[in-house]
Amino acid sequence: MTINRKKLEDDLMHFVRSRSPRHAAASPQMDLLESGLLDSLLLVDLILQIEESYGVRFDSDQVNPSNFRTVEDIVGVVLGQLPMPQPQAD
Amino acid sequence: MKWPLVRRPVPQSQVPLYNRFYLHASRASQVDPTLVWGTEIDADALRAFLHERNRHGRVVLTAAHALIRAAALALEQFPEINARLVGRRIYPFREINIRMAFFHRRNSEMDLLLIENANLKSLERIGLEIWQRLLQAGRGEGGRDRDLARFRRIPSFWFRQIVRLYGFLDRHFRLPTLGRIDATRAGSVMVNDLSFTGAPPMRMYKPTRFPDRSDAFNLTLGPIEPKVVARSDQFASVNVMPLFLRADHRLADAQQVGRFLGAVRELLSHPERLAGGYFEIADIDRIVDAKRK
Repeated sequence: MTINRKKLEDDLMHFVRSRSPRHAAASPQMDLLESGLLDSLLLVDLILQIEESYGVRFDSDQVNPSNFRTVEDIVGVVLGQLPMPQPQAD
Repeated sequence: MKWPLVRRPVPQSQVPLYNRFYLHASRASQVDPTLVWGTEIDADALRAFLHERNRHGRVVLTAAHALIRAAALALEQFPEINARLVGRRIYPFREINIRMAFFHRRNSEMDLLLIENANLKSLERIGLEIWQRLLQAGRGEGGRDRDLARFRRIPSFWFRQIVRLYGFLDRHFRLPTLGRIDATRAGSVMVNDLSFTGAPPMRMYKPTRFPDRSDAFNLTLGPIEPKVVARSDQFASVNVMPLFLRADHRLADAQQVGRFLGAVRELLSHPERLAGGYFEIADIDRIVDAKRK
Protein backbone atom coordinates (compact mmCIF):
# COMPACT_ATOMS: atom_id res chain seq x y z
CA MET A 1 0.00 0.00 0.00
CA THR A 2 1.47 3.37 -0.96
CA ILE A 3 0.19 6.54 0.64
CA ASN A 4 0.48 10.11 -0.37
CA ARG A 5 2.03 12.18 2.49
CA LYS A 6 -0.38 15.08 1.90
CA LYS A 7 -3.42 12.80 1.96
CA LEU A 8 -2.27 11.13 5.16
CA GLU A 9 -1.61 14.47 6.83
CA ASP A 10 -5.03 15.77 5.75
CA ASP A 11 -6.74 12.65 7.10
CA LEU A 12 -5.01 12.93 10.47
CA MET A 13 -5.65 16.67 10.72
CA HIS A 14 -9.32 16.11 9.98
CA PHE A 15 -9.45 13.44 12.68
CA VAL A 16 -7.76 15.68 15.28
CA ARG A 17 -9.67 18.86 14.39
CA SER A 18 -13.05 17.16 14.53
CA ARG A 19 -12.41 16.08 18.10
CA SER A 20 -13.70 19.22 19.85
CA PRO A 21 -13.86 23.01 19.35
CA ARG A 22 -10.54 23.25 21.22
CA HIS A 23 -8.89 20.96 18.70
CA ALA A 24 -10.25 22.87 15.69
CA ALA A 25 -7.30 25.29 15.66
CA ALA A 26 -4.66 22.53 15.55
CA SER A 27 -2.03 22.68 12.81
CA PRO A 28 0.33 19.97 11.49
CA GLN A 29 3.28 21.56 13.31
CA MET A 30 1.48 22.22 16.60
CA ASP A 31 2.97 20.45 19.63
CA LEU A 32 0.02 18.31 20.70
CA LEU A 33 1.66 17.26 23.97
CA GLU A 34 2.63 20.76 25.14
CA SER A 35 -0.74 22.20 24.14
CA GLY A 36 -2.53 19.49 26.15
CA LEU A 37 -4.64 18.47 23.14
CA LEU A 38 -3.34 14.90 23.04
CA ASP A 39 -4.91 13.07 25.97
CA SER A 40 -4.94 9.29 26.30
CA LEU A 41 -8.38 8.95 24.70
CA LEU A 42 -7.34 10.85 21.56
CA LEU A 43 -3.99 9.09 21.37
CA VAL A 44 -5.56 5.62 21.46
CA ASP A 45 -8.25 6.64 18.97
CA LEU A 46 -5.64 8.10 16.66
CA ILE A 47 -3.51 4.94 16.74
CA LEU A 48 -6.50 2.67 16.14
CA GLN A 49 -7.73 4.89 13.32
CA ILE A 50 -4.31 4.76 11.63
CA GLU A 51 -4.06 1.01 12.10
CA GLU A 52 -7.50 0.46 10.62
CA SER A 53 -7.08 2.83 7.68
CA TYR A 54 -3.47 2.18 6.69
CA GLY A 55 -2.77 -1.36 7.85
CA VAL A 56 0.22 -0.45 10.02
CA ARG A 57 0.62 -1.60 13.60
CA PHE A 58 1.94 0.30 16.62
CA ASP A 59 3.67 -1.43 19.50
CA SER A 60 3.29 0.08 22.96
CA ASP A 61 6.97 1.06 23.01
CA GLN A 62 6.31 3.20 19.94
CA VAL A 63 3.98 5.37 22.01
CA ASN A 64 6.85 7.73 22.72
CA PRO A 65 6.80 11.51 22.64
CA SER A 66 9.02 11.89 19.59
CA ASN A 67 6.54 9.87 17.50
CA PHE A 68 3.42 11.73 18.65
CA ARG A 69 4.53 15.30 19.30
CA THR A 70 3.01 16.76 16.13
CA VAL A 71 0.82 15.47 13.31
CA GLU A 72 3.88 15.79 11.05
CA ASP A 73 5.77 13.43 13.37
CA ILE A 74 2.93 10.92 13.28
CA VAL A 75 2.86 11.08 9.49
CA GLY A 76 6.60 10.36 9.46
CA VAL A 77 6.17 7.30 11.69
CA VAL A 78 3.33 5.90 9.58
CA LEU A 79 5.23 6.42 6.32
CA GLY A 80 8.32 4.84 7.91
CA GLN A 81 6.34 1.67 8.63
CA LEU A 82 4.95 1.30 5.15
CA PRO A 83 6.90 -0.60 2.48
CA MET A 84 8.83 1.65 0.12
CA PRO A 85 7.25 1.91 -3.36
CA GLN A 86 9.06 -0.40 -5.81
CA PRO A 87 10.73 1.28 -8.83
CA GLN A 88 8.92 0.68 -12.11
CA ALA A 89 10.51 -2.02 -14.28
CA ASP A 90 11.61 -0.89 -17.76
CA MET B 1 -3.50 -18.79 41.00
CA LYS B 2 -2.35 -15.95 43.29
CA TRP B 3 -3.16 -15.06 46.87
CA PRO B 4 -3.35 -11.26 46.95
CA LEU B 5 -4.05 -11.07 50.70
CA VAL B 6 -1.76 -12.10 53.54
CA ARG B 7 -2.70 -15.20 55.51
CA ARG B 8 -3.65 -13.58 58.84
CA PRO B 9 -6.04 -10.67 59.38
CA VAL B 10 -5.12 -7.54 61.34
CA PRO B 11 -5.81 -8.26 65.05
CA GLN B 12 -8.99 -6.50 66.17
CA SER B 13 -7.05 -4.90 69.03
CA GLN B 14 -5.02 -2.96 66.43
CA VAL B 15 -8.07 -1.61 64.62
CA PRO B 16 -9.05 1.91 65.81
CA LEU B 17 -12.18 1.83 67.97
CA TYR B 18 -14.35 3.98 65.71
CA ASN B 19 -13.43 1.86 62.69
CA ARG B 20 -14.64 -1.12 64.71
CA PHE B 21 -17.95 0.60 65.43
CA TYR B 22 -18.54 0.78 61.67
CA LEU B 23 -17.13 -2.70 61.17
CA HIS B 24 -19.52 -4.32 63.61
CA ALA B 25 -22.58 -2.15 63.04
CA SER B 26 -25.69 -4.15 62.25
CA ARG B 27 -27.34 -3.85 58.86
CA ALA B 28 -30.46 -2.62 60.60
CA SER B 29 -28.62 0.55 61.71
CA GLN B 30 -28.20 1.41 58.00
CA VAL B 31 -24.81 2.94 58.75
CA ASP B 32 -22.93 4.41 55.79
CA PRO B 33 -19.18 3.95 56.24
CA THR B 34 -18.30 6.08 53.22
CA LEU B 35 -15.94 9.01 53.73
CA VAL B 36 -15.26 11.51 50.95
CA TRP B 37 -12.46 14.07 51.09
CA GLY B 38 -11.82 16.54 48.29
CA THR B 39 -8.74 18.67 47.79
CA GLU B 40 -6.81 20.15 44.88
CA ILE B 41 -3.29 19.90 43.53
CA ASP B 42 -0.95 22.35 41.84
CA ALA B 43 -1.63 21.54 38.19
CA ASP B 44 1.09 23.88 36.92
CA ALA B 45 3.78 21.85 38.66
CA LEU B 46 2.38 18.54 37.40
CA ARG B 47 1.95 19.86 33.87
CA ALA B 48 5.48 21.29 33.76
CA PHE B 49 6.87 17.98 35.03
CA LEU B 50 4.97 15.93 32.44
CA HIS B 51 6.00 18.32 29.64
CA GLU B 52 9.63 17.98 30.69
CA ARG B 53 9.45 14.19 30.84
CA ASN B 54 7.62 14.08 27.52
CA ARG B 55 10.30 16.25 25.93
CA HIS B 56 13.05 13.68 26.42
CA GLY B 57 11.30 10.48 27.55
CA ARG B 58 10.76 7.09 25.96
CA VAL B 59 7.02 6.85 26.72
CA VAL B 60 4.21 9.43 26.50
CA LEU B 61 3.28 10.19 30.12
CA THR B 62 -0.07 11.55 31.33
CA ALA B 63 -1.57 12.64 34.64
CA ALA B 64 -3.06 9.14 35.07
CA HIS B 65 0.42 7.59 35.17
CA ALA B 66 1.53 10.15 37.75
CA LEU B 67 -1.61 9.46 39.82
CA ILE B 68 -0.88 5.72 39.88
CA ARG B 69 2.70 6.20 41.00
CA ALA B 70 1.69 8.81 43.59
CA ALA B 71 -0.98 6.49 45.02
CA ALA B 72 1.53 3.62 45.20
CA LEU B 73 4.19 5.71 46.95
CA ALA B 74 1.59 7.05 49.40
CA LEU B 75 0.52 3.45 50.15
CA GLU B 76 4.13 2.68 51.04
CA GLN B 77 3.90 5.43 53.65
CA PHE B 78 0.48 4.34 54.93
CA PRO B 79 0.33 0.54 54.61
CA GLU B 80 -2.86 0.38 56.74
CA ILE B 81 -4.70 1.73 53.68
CA ASN B 82 -3.46 -1.19 51.56
CA ALA B 83 -6.03 -3.62 52.94
CA ARG B 84 -9.55 -4.90 52.38
CA LEU B 85 -12.40 -6.44 54.29
CA VAL B 86 -13.30 -10.11 54.28
CA GLY B 87 -16.36 -10.59 56.43
CA ARG B 88 -15.60 -8.43 59.47
CA ARG B 89 -11.86 -9.00 59.30
CA ILE B 90 -9.26 -6.72 57.72
CA TYR B 91 -6.59 -8.35 55.57
CA PRO B 92 -3.57 -6.45 54.25
CA PHE B 93 -2.57 -6.95 50.62
CA ARG B 94 0.79 -8.60 49.97
CA GLU B 95 1.81 -6.14 47.26
CA ILE B 96 1.07 -2.57 46.35
CA ASN B 97 -1.10 -2.94 43.28
CA ILE B 98 -3.17 -0.11 41.84
CA ARG B 99 -6.39 -0.52 39.87
CA MET B 100 -7.28 1.95 37.15
CA ALA B 101 -10.56 2.53 35.37
CA PHE B 102 -10.22 3.15 31.63
CA PHE B 103 -12.47 3.50 28.63
CA HIS B 104 -12.49 0.27 26.65
CA ARG B 105 -12.61 1.61 23.13
CA ARG B 106 -13.78 -1.56 21.40
CA ASN B 107 -16.58 -2.36 23.86
CA SER B 108 -17.49 1.33 24.45
CA GLU B 109 -17.61 0.80 28.19
CA MET B 110 -15.41 1.15 31.25
CA ASP B 111 -12.97 -1.58 32.18
CA LEU B 112 -10.33 -2.03 34.86
CA LEU B 113 -6.64 -2.71 34.64
CA LEU B 114 -4.18 -3.55 37.38
CA ILE B 115 -0.65 -2.24 37.77
CA GLU B 116 1.15 -4.72 39.98
CA ASN B 117 3.93 -3.53 42.32
CA ALA B 118 3.34 0.04 41.17
CA ASN B 119 5.57 1.34 43.97
CA LEU B 120 8.57 -0.42 42.39
CA LYS B 121 7.89 0.65 38.82
CA SER B 122 9.13 3.82 37.16
CA LEU B 123 6.62 6.22 35.66
CA GLU B 124 7.76 5.11 32.21
CA ARG B 125 7.18 1.43 33.05
CA ILE B 126 3.69 2.27 34.35
CA GLY B 127 3.04 4.29 31.19
CA LEU B 128 4.24 1.49 28.93
CA GLU B 129 2.01 -1.10 30.63
CA ILE B 130 -1.02 1.15 30.39
CA TRP B 131 -0.50 1.95 26.70
CA GLN B 132 -0.06 -1.75 26.04
CA ARG B 133 -3.38 -2.56 27.71
CA LEU B 134 -5.24 0.36 26.09
CA LEU B 135 -4.09 -0.66 22.61
CA GLN B 136 -4.83 -4.32 23.31
CA ALA B 137 -8.33 -3.39 24.50
CA GLY B 138 -8.89 -1.13 21.48
CA ARG B 139 -8.02 -4.04 19.16
CA GLY B 140 -9.99 -6.50 21.29
CA GLU B 141 -7.14 -9.00 21.20
CA GLY B 142 -6.11 -9.38 24.85
CA GLY B 143 -6.85 -12.47 26.92
CA ARG B 144 -9.02 -10.39 29.24
CA ASP B 145 -11.00 -9.10 26.26
CA ARG B 146 -11.74 -12.64 25.14
CA ASP B 147 -12.81 -13.54 28.70
CA LEU B 148 -15.05 -10.47 28.88
CA ALA B 149 -16.61 -11.40 25.52
CA ARG B 150 -17.39 -14.91 26.87
CA PHE B 151 -18.79 -13.38 30.06
CA ARG B 152 -21.04 -11.12 28.01
CA ARG B 153 -22.62 -14.11 26.26
CA ILE B 154 -23.82 -15.65 29.52
CA PRO B 155 -27.64 -15.45 29.75
CA SER B 156 -28.78 -12.84 32.30
CA PHE B 157 -30.27 -15.42 34.69
CA TRP B 158 -26.94 -17.26 34.98
CA PHE B 159 -24.99 -14.02 34.97
CA ARG B 160 -26.94 -12.93 38.05
CA GLN B 161 -26.37 -16.28 39.79
CA ILE B 162 -22.62 -16.20 39.06
CA VAL B 163 -22.22 -12.61 40.24
CA ARG B 164 -24.20 -13.27 43.41
CA LEU B 165 -22.37 -16.48 44.24
CA TYR B 166 -18.98 -14.93 43.55
CA GLY B 167 -19.95 -11.85 45.56
CA PHE B 168 -20.94 -14.04 48.52
CA LEU B 169 -17.66 -15.96 48.42
CA ASP B 170 -15.65 -12.76 47.96
CA ARG B 171 -17.34 -11.11 50.96
CA HIS B 172 -16.81 -14.02 53.33
CA PHE B 173 -13.65 -15.87 52.31
CA ARG B 174 -10.06 -14.92 51.57
CA LEU B 175 -10.07 -15.96 47.93
CA PRO B 176 -7.20 -16.33 45.51
CA THR B 177 -7.36 -14.65 42.11
CA LEU B 178 -7.89 -17.28 39.46
CA GLY B 179 -8.01 -15.61 36.10
CA ARG B 180 -7.89 -12.43 34.11
CA ILE B 181 -11.37 -11.26 35.10
CA ASP B 182 -10.87 -11.36 38.87
CA ALA B 183 -7.18 -10.36 38.81
CA THR B 184 -8.21 -6.72 39.20
CA ARG B 185 -9.38 -7.49 42.77
CA ALA B 186 -5.76 -7.54 43.90
CA GLY B 187 -5.47 -3.88 44.93
CA SER B 188 -7.11 -1.63 47.50
CA VAL B 189 -6.88 1.67 45.64
CA MET B 190 -8.59 2.41 42.36
CA VAL B 191 -7.59 5.54 40.44
CA ASN B 192 -9.82 7.36 38.05
CA ASP B 193 -8.39 10.02 35.72
CA LEU B 194 -11.22 12.31 34.65
CA SER B 195 -8.94 15.16 33.55
CA PHE B 196 -9.57 14.50 29.85
CA THR B 197 -9.92 17.39 27.39
CA GLY B 198 -13.44 18.81 27.46
CA ALA B 199 -14.35 17.49 30.93
CA PRO B 200 -16.41 20.07 32.87
CA PRO B 201 -14.97 21.61 36.07
CA MET B 202 -15.42 19.21 38.95
CA ARG B 203 -16.86 20.45 42.24
CA MET B 204 -17.78 17.18 43.79
CA TYR B 205 -17.31 13.54 42.87
CA LYS B 206 -18.19 10.35 44.69
CA PRO B 207 -17.74 7.29 42.53
CA THR B 208 -20.01 4.34 43.17
CA ARG B 209 -18.47 1.28 44.75
CA PHE B 210 -17.69 -1.69 42.58
CA PRO B 211 -19.40 -4.82 43.98
CA ASP B 212 -16.16 -6.44 45.16
CA ARG B 213 -14.76 -5.32 48.48
CA SER B 214 -11.31 -4.55 47.09
CA ASP B 215 -12.79 -1.26 46.02
CA ALA B 216 -12.19 0.34 49.42
CA PHE B 217 -10.39 3.50 48.29
CA ASN B 218 -11.00 5.46 45.13
CA LEU B 219 -8.86 8.40 43.97
CA THR B 220 -10.28 10.62 41.25
CA LEU B 221 -8.41 13.39 39.50
CA GLY B 222 -10.48 16.07 37.80
CA PRO B 223 -9.74 18.49 34.94
CA ILE B 224 -7.43 21.51 35.14
CA GLU B 225 -9.07 24.83 35.92
CA PRO B 226 -7.74 28.32 36.74
CA LYS B 227 -8.08 29.72 40.23
CA VAL B 228 -7.19 33.09 41.74
CA VAL B 229 -5.11 32.86 44.92
CA ALA B 230 -3.35 35.33 47.22
CA ARG B 231 0.44 35.06 47.13
CA SER B 232 2.69 37.52 48.99
CA ASP B 233 -0.20 40.04 49.37
CA GLN B 234 -0.93 39.86 45.65
CA PHE B 235 -3.50 38.02 43.64
CA ALA B 236 -2.20 35.47 41.17
CA SER B 237 -3.88 33.07 38.75
CA VAL B 238 -2.84 29.46 39.14
CA ASN B 239 -4.09 26.19 37.65
CA VAL B 240 -5.42 23.49 39.93
CA MET B 241 -6.83 19.99 39.56
CA PRO B 242 -9.41 18.63 42.00
CA LEU B 243 -8.53 15.37 43.72
CA PHE B 244 -11.19 13.31 45.50
CA LEU B 245 -10.75 10.33 47.75
CA ARG B 246 -13.69 8.05 48.56
CA ALA B 247 -12.75 5.82 51.49
CA ASP B 248 -14.22 3.10 53.68
CA HIS B 249 -14.40 4.15 57.33
CA ARG B 250 -14.22 0.51 58.42
CA LEU B 251 -10.63 0.46 57.19
CA ALA B 252 -9.47 4.01 57.88
CA ASP B 253 -10.68 6.99 59.90
CA ALA B 254 -10.72 10.61 58.76
CA GLN B 255 -7.27 11.29 60.15
CA GLN B 256 -5.75 8.34 58.25
CA VAL B 257 -7.66 9.23 55.11
CA GLY B 258 -6.53 12.86 55.35
CA ARG B 259 -2.89 11.91 55.83
CA PHE B 260 -2.99 9.47 52.89
CA LEU B 261 -4.68 12.03 50.64
CA GLY B 262 -2.18 14.67 51.84
CA ALA B 263 0.69 12.38 50.80
CA VAL B 264 -0.82 11.86 47.32
CA ARG B 265 -1.36 15.61 47.00
CA GLU B 266 2.21 16.40 48.03
CA LEU B 267 3.59 13.92 45.50
CA LEU B 268 1.47 15.30 42.66
CA SER B 269 2.21 18.92 43.59
CA HIS B 270 5.95 18.11 43.77
CA PRO B 271 6.06 15.55 40.96
CA GLU B 272 9.87 15.38 40.89
CA ARG B 273 9.35 13.07 43.90
CA LEU B 274 7.66 10.57 41.57
CA ALA B 275 10.98 9.82 39.91
CA GLY B 276 12.73 6.54 40.67
CA GLY B 277 11.47 2.99 40.40
CA TYR B 278 12.55 0.43 37.85
CA PHE B 279 11.89 0.32 34.14
CA GLU B 280 12.93 -3.26 33.46
CA ILE B 281 10.54 -5.99 34.62
CA ALA B 282 13.50 -8.25 35.48
CA ASP B 283 14.62 -5.78 38.19
CA ILE B 284 11.13 -5.66 39.68
CA ASP B 285 10.80 -9.47 39.64
CA ARG B 286 14.14 -9.82 41.42
CA ILE B 287 13.02 -7.46 44.22
CA VAL B 288 9.59 -9.10 44.56
CA ASP B 289 11.20 -12.58 44.75
CA ALA B 290 13.65 -11.37 47.39
CA LYS B 291 10.79 -9.88 49.42
CA ARG B 292 8.79 -13.13 49.27
CA LYS B 293 11.79 -15.15 50.48
